[in-house]
Amino acid sequence: MTFDFTVVTANTNLLWQGFLITLYYTVTTIVAGLVIGLIVGLIQLSPFRPLVWLGRVYVEFFRNIPLLVIVLWTYYALPIFLGVNITKGWAGFLALSFYVGSFYAEILRAGVQSIDPGQTDASTALGMSYGQRMRRIILPQAFRRMVPPLAGQSIIQMKNTTLLSMITVPDLLYQGSYISSFTYRPMEIYTAIGLIFIIVLVPLTLLSRKLEKAGAMAK
Amino acid sequence: MSIGNAGDILTLRDIHLRFAAVEVLRGIDLSVAQGEVVVIIGGSGSGKTSLLRCINLLNTPSSGSIVIDGETLFDVDKDGVDKANLKSAEINSIRSQTGMVFQQFNLFPHMTALQNVMEAPVTVKKQSKAEVNARARAILGQMGLDLHVDKRPAQLSGGQQQRVAIARALAMDPKVMLFDEPTSALDPELVGEVLKAMVALARSGMTMVVVTHELGFALEIADRVIFIDQGLIAADGPPQQVLLRPEHPRLKQFVGRFHETADLLRPFLEGKAATTK
Repeated sequence: MTFDFTVVTANTNLLWQGFLITLYYTVTTIVAGLVIGLIVGLIQLSPFRPLVWLGRVYVEFFRNIPLLVIVLWTYYALPIFLGVNITKGWAGFLALSFYVGSFYAEILRAGVQSIDPGQTDASTALGMSYGQRMRRIILPQAFRRMVPPLAGQSIIQMKNTTLLSMITVPDLLYQGSYISSFTYRPMEIYTAIGLIFIIVLVPLTLLSRKLEKAGAMAK
Repeated sequence: MSIGNAGDILTLRDIHLRFAAVEVLRGIDLSVAQGEVVVIIGGSGSGKTSLLRCINLLNTPSSGSIVIDGETLFDVDKDGVDKANLKSAEINSIRSQTGMVFQQFNLFPHMTALQNVMEAPVTVKKQSKAEVNARARAILGQMGLDLHVDKRPAQLSGGQQQRVAIARALAMDPKVMLFDEPTSALDPELVGEVLKAMVALARSGMTMVVVTHELGFALEIADRVIFIDQGLIAADGPPQQVLLRPEHPRLKQFVGRFHETADLLRPFLEGKAATTK
């Protein structure tokens, strides 16, 4: 058994295209997920019970169904329910965004609730409104604590984009299986794909560690 | 306004507070005149902190009324009917006329001392930054904190943090200052500096309601001492009367403990005096 990495170097073009697609879905779904997470997180923190409950249902729904099931369901079942056509790109984008949004919402809620209630007491006693308290006092402190878990979840998100290959979105993994289908060298191809993820994500992991330390210092 | 005397800056009528099945306050009536210093004492769980937190609605009473300088902040009758029916913006506006100092200081840790003091006047009252900056520095100066204006709370001692907290409340020009056990979380050697700042504030004519265990402070500066027991006012009078000649049996017991401590200390103090001679 010998490795022959020429199958990788001969197909860098396809792998590069796949990598760009992976990167594209990572970035766009993280951005959309952050927007969803912020909205749902704040909804869960609102004093209005039915809204809190609604946020809770959303979070538990997406956190407790395997992502692969969500991706497949969004692509194959949702169009039937809604009676509309959804492209595989949109299905993948929606599934990944709503999935990661539920985790971001939990991170936001936990971050805000970890802030000492004395901070709310003090800002309320000074006459600050709910919005002023959130904007000026609570969220700036909570965001500092949220950076490490947000970074962690975003790293997981990049790896999760590989599930898009199951609905034939031509991401890095899809291109890999395509290349192995005509070169018959899955070993080299999948090893290379694993290495690509390591090369991108290890520096990001180190960065998030650094942010975590900086956050601990600022306390 | 029909309730409260003309000179009263703060009037509470028949305040009840219920947490689930427990009735913490069972009908409190309290009027505080302009410039008066009222000290509230009582055992733990007596409801004294809850009462203080009701004054600015950090705790919402189940019924009763609260009037601050002629403005009704809260008025709910026994059947739960809200007769004041204020919008939250109106509540915030009346609330900002009271200043509060907490046991745990509760400074904003992501801001410097100066930013802590400037925050509410700029954000809530929309005053100009330059003007507030000058005033905040002056108030911090009065608190003896000239050298610490640009430090974060974590870089300050407990006593310094509490003085920043007092400055932060004063920057809003409050009509009443509420103190919730302001020295209880401090190391003993830091209690003095905070009490000194509070004495100076009282002498300057500030209306103050103070929950504290510092009976010496009460004797020194209070116009009235109120003893809360099981959610009711059990004694209300001048400090000498309430603290030195207590009549209510539970108050006797409560104050007795402090006299005992003093009695325990006395021989040591005298003994020490003898050896140093």
